[in-house]
Amino acid sequence: MDLKFSDEQNILRDMTRSLCADHSTIAVVRAMENDPHGVPEGLWRQMGETGLLAMMLPESMGGAGFDMLDCAVIYEELGRHLAPGPYFASATLSALVLREAASAGQQQALLPGIGSGATIVTPAWLEPGNGFGPRGVQLRARPTEGGYLLSGTKRHVFHAAAAHKLLVLARTGDDEQAIDLLLLDRDAPGVRLEQQKSMASDTQYRVVFDDVAVPAGARIGAPGSGWRSWDAAMHDGIILLAAWAAGGAERALEITVQYAKDREQFGKPIGAFQALAHYMADASAAVDGARTLAYEAAWARSRGHDVRRLAAMAKLFCCKTFRDVTATGQQIHGGIGFTLDYDIQLFYRRAKQLQMNWWDAHYLEELVAADILDRELPRTIPDPFTV
Amino acid sequence: MDFEFSPAERAFLQEVDDFLQANRDPRVMDVTRENMAQVCDTPERRAFMKKLAERGWLGITWPKEYGGQDGEGFYEYLLNEKLSSVGAPQIGKGVGIIGKTLIKVGSEKLKREFLPKILNAEIEFAVGYSEPSAGSDSAAMRLRAERQGEGWVLNGQKVYTTSAHFADWYWVGARTDPDAPKHHGISLFLIRMDDPGLTIQPMYTMGGERTNAVFFDNVFVHDDYRVGELNKGFQYIAEALDIERFTMFTFAPIRGRVELLCDHVKHATRDGEALKTDPRLRQRIAQLATECEVARLLGVRFVDTAINSPKTPTVEASRYKLYSTELSRRVADATMDIVGPGAQLALGTGDAPLKGRAESCYTYTVIDTIGGGSSEVQKNIIATRGLGLPRNF
Repeated sequence: MDLKFSDEQNILRDMTRSLCADHSTIAVVRAMENDPHGVPEGLWRQMGETGLLAMMLPESMGGAGFDMLDCAVIYEELGRHLAPGPYFASATLSALVLREAASAGQQQALLPGIGSGATIVTPAWLEPGNGFGPRGVQLRARPTEGGYLLSGTKRHVFHAAAAHKLLVLARTGDDEQAIDLLLLDRDAPGVRLEQQKSMASDTQYRVVFDDVAVPAGARIGAPGSGWRSWDAAMHDGIILLAAWAAGGAERALEITVQYAKDREQFGKPIGAFQALAHYMADASAAVDGARTLAYEAAWARSRGHDVRRLAAMAKLFCCKTFRDVTATGQQIHGGIGFTLDYDIQLFYRRAKQLQMNWWDAHYLEELVAADILDRELPRTIPDPFTV
Repeated sequence: MDFEFSPAERAFLQEVDDFLQANRDPRVMDVTRENMAQVCDTPERRAFMKKLAERGWLGITWPKEYGGQDGEGFYEYLLNEKLSSVGAPQIGKGVGIIGKTLIKVGSEKLKREFLPKILNAEIEFAVGYSEPSAGSDSAAMRLRAERQGEGWVLNGQKVYTTSAHFADWYWVGARTDPDAPKHHGISLFLIRMDDPGLTIQPMYTMGGERTNAVFFDNVFVHDDYRVGELNKGFQYIAEALDIERFTMFTFAPIRGRVELLCDHVKHATRDGEALKTDPRLRQRIAQLATECEVARLLGVRFVDTAINSPKTPTVEASRYKLYSTELSRRVADATMDIVGPGAQLALGTGDAPLKGRAESCYTYTVIDTIGGGSSEVQKNIIATRGLGLPRNF
């Protein structure tokens, strides 16, 4: 038992932090709000050059051989800085799917570009009125000679205008998991993009597919394997989002504590009032717990353990903590926090949105509950002290 | 970074497991006493502590010159978690608070007299800090110690001395300088519990346990039995409390109660329907299990900081104590709600669900967020020492 990071991980943290300090300043974060492309040029270039975008890639394709805990360190720093850009959609989630399920030819064609930042791939998954499970995928892929014809609507497609490729989850039959992953050009005929503003002012699109022709060679993996590949990639991806949320929560708490030291009312700093100090003390325990849980999930994944439960717990708890800490932060900032001039609102809006995206609390809670209640295990809660 | 126990740590856990199996005895190991299971209040429990002593497990972290093993605190943590997981008495007060304070600041005479007896489990202590007017404000203690001849005469009252009715010695804080600022006028004394000037009055608690009020009527203590430097008592108490916070609130019983609840939801039915089909209960279980893992990790963080870093883990201890005990109360409340009307039946009732544990958890865990420093005290520590916020009281 030892919670120290390795020297390499400390260097990685410092490197990411200084990269963000230069290229993901609050000015950059603000400039990217509602930007149609949402790719901060300097940050994206630097992330490509320093190997951060290749974090998921095998070393044979330009990856640095990072394990999940290394990646969590990077993501925690990105979260602290609310770093904008399509790195999760492209370099993490799409890369994970392609790494595990794509053919050698598809990998060769796409992964090096994803790793350098030259190629951007974004998943097209959620649909209006539908949830996170397989039944939510209703966009149809009708078989044709030599391929598919796609029709339907996707929503919350991040950075679609900047993307070169869309990774579409499409339904091929009536069985719950009759789902394929199809990779197509973003500007294929029949694909229509419409930017939609969101609470976090991030860059997301509604994408309508109007009889879009896709060749069979665009399918990732065997027919009917799409959901399995997607689900596996998501279980890895949420560990890193948990680390991002923990980083955001840490920073939001720091900003709030500093404000409580500087702001005076009734003749003293407001942080000297127990009503406020105790909110922040509670937040401090939750943030340390969240961060450690994200590390544990990442560490367990790096060791090759089954992380179904831990990954879901990590995203669930880290995102809840991020949300709660930012809500407390707003309260402690008082009226001024409601204005756009102060930074706490940037955290507040992103925290809730991250909690709701990429598997929300309900979906994650059911994953945890199923793992505890529906599996035939002698113990429902593991005893860490039993050898 | 490594969240796993090392081979040596796992071997130790196995050794403790084997020992607990070999010494299985419901009079010694009783999880239904909840957090009171840690006290050593019966002959059987004292005999069990002697066996622990024979294994050398009481002096794991003590220096070799005092009969200890100079071992890592991590093993003490593992041992206490194991002991508390089966409801056995734990090593805490004697080895931790009193022993370690004596090793640090005690006179040669006190060390010679007490350390071997602590190590051999021949002595039980009661700890007297709280008073009617000194609860969370523990430095406000008023028990008077006045100089007389070769020693001191003590007059006043303590409360919540849980071990007073079975302990041999009393570890007591008393005011030796009434004119000094409140934190700088307290000294620590060791008093025989059978001193005729002490009157012990029981205070019965929820859950059928007892604690005590203790009255001091001209209790004479020789100056040799004053611990460390005069008027430094509060500093000694504060330093030792960081240890107490950990030994008093082990994680294993919380995990055990969450496990009990999950197991119930997994197998029980209501109106012929499996409980686990209720999405509300599934959600609650997922939340509590997640929070339980967070509590465990805050404990791990605390122990890790204590062992692998040069700083005193005061803030980490407070975060763990705050989060885990608040969780402990949430778990108790959720257990009542989830188990349903049968949960109100008292511990020991024949057909009570969970054998009445729901009720006993609900009443016992009230003290978790109060004893050993209330949640509000922990928050003040985190706010001022962890976050650097201004003093707020």
